Amino acid sequence: MRAPAGDTLLALAAVFVPLSLLSFGGSNAVIADIAHQSIAQGWVGERDFADFFALARAAPGPGSMLAALIGWQAAGLTGALLATLSLYLPAAVLVWAAARLWGRWRGSRWHAAVERGLAPIAAGLLLSGGIAVLRLSPGGPAVWVAAFAAGAILLRWPGLHPVPLMFACGALFAVAGTLVH
Amino acid sequence: MDRKVEPRVPLLSVFAAFFVIGATAFGGGSAGWIHREIVLRRHWIGDGEFLATLALGQALPGANGIKTAALIGDRLHGAAGAATAVFAMLAGPFAIIVALGAAYARIGELPVLHTVLDGIAAAAIGLTFATGLRGLAHGAPGPAGLAVAAVTVLCVGILRWPMLPVVLVLAPVSVALALRQRRS
Repeated sequence: MRAPAGDTLLALAAVFVPLSLLSFGGSNAVIADIAHQSIAQGWVGERDFADFFALARAAPGPGSMLAALIGWQAAGLTGALLATLSLYLPAAVLVWAAARLWGRWRGSRWHAAVERGLAPIAAGLLLSGGIAVLRLSPGGPAVWVAAFAAGAILLRWPGLHPVPLMFACGALFAVAGTLVH
Repeated sequence: MDRKVEPRVPLLSVFAAFFVIGATAFGGGSAGWIHREIVLRRHWIGDGEFLATLALGQALPGANGIKTAALIGDRLHGAAGAATAVFAMLAGPFAIIVALGAAYARIGELPVLHTVLDGIAAAAIGLTFATGLRGLAHGAPGPAGLAVAAVTVLCVGILRWPMLPVVLVLAPVSVALALRQRRS
């Protein structure tokens, strides 16, 4: 691992701070951009990104916490902290400040229009994030099939807890992989 | 808005509550976990207040759990409560992911690990698709909303354009469409 050069730390902040302020619909909406930029910067390869994504989703907390792993890979523990704070703090401060102003507009035409206008973009970004991770995944067609199947299962049974499904899917892949080899 | 920001809940209790939520919120559905701990179990705020907070958060950027923590922390103990809730919410997942990353660095060469992680990722991508589609069905009914979502997917997901310009162009268009739709 390289020493956390100031340049790398600056680059991490330059990537994650704007993404924080752009993560409409939740921070998973920016996973597509996190993937493109962190691979373009050379911080992670596609294999590592796919694994980090899975690790972050299997752990508690936001799936976008994979930013910590990318920061770690780029610049050690300092990088991990910086990437995490850059991804979450700017939006948190913005939301907190806006809450103090926004209240007086509640019930207005604008309030509803902004919420309704941003909703489809948020949904589109979420779907794009899924597509981006799928394209990066080195796991081949099996991952595509399993992803669409899991999506269909979760749409059909919304009450189903996603975490057991994730571990079941991981176990299934391990068994299938062993049988193939 | 008539805001009451007098400290209602001690900071240490705010920290403890949000630390537990952060460290146990598997699957990313943090809003559901926050509701269970803060509204149902501790009765610190009511359902109405919680829902109003969520609605506001939806219109703004940020990880859903983190921004909800900031807004509810603010209600519980003002600015200090907001900061405490956000850091408490991040502390557990950060420590856990760093520990997992360190373990991964040691055993990352095992081929079976990649296979298992591919399986987990596939289910997680499925969850992302399901959440996006459900959000589309509930939050963006009508042809205008579907069109905006489709253009977003085309530009960012398929053409891999950077998100910043895409959102900067689409957001005003989409809000204008929503305004017009509302007026008619």
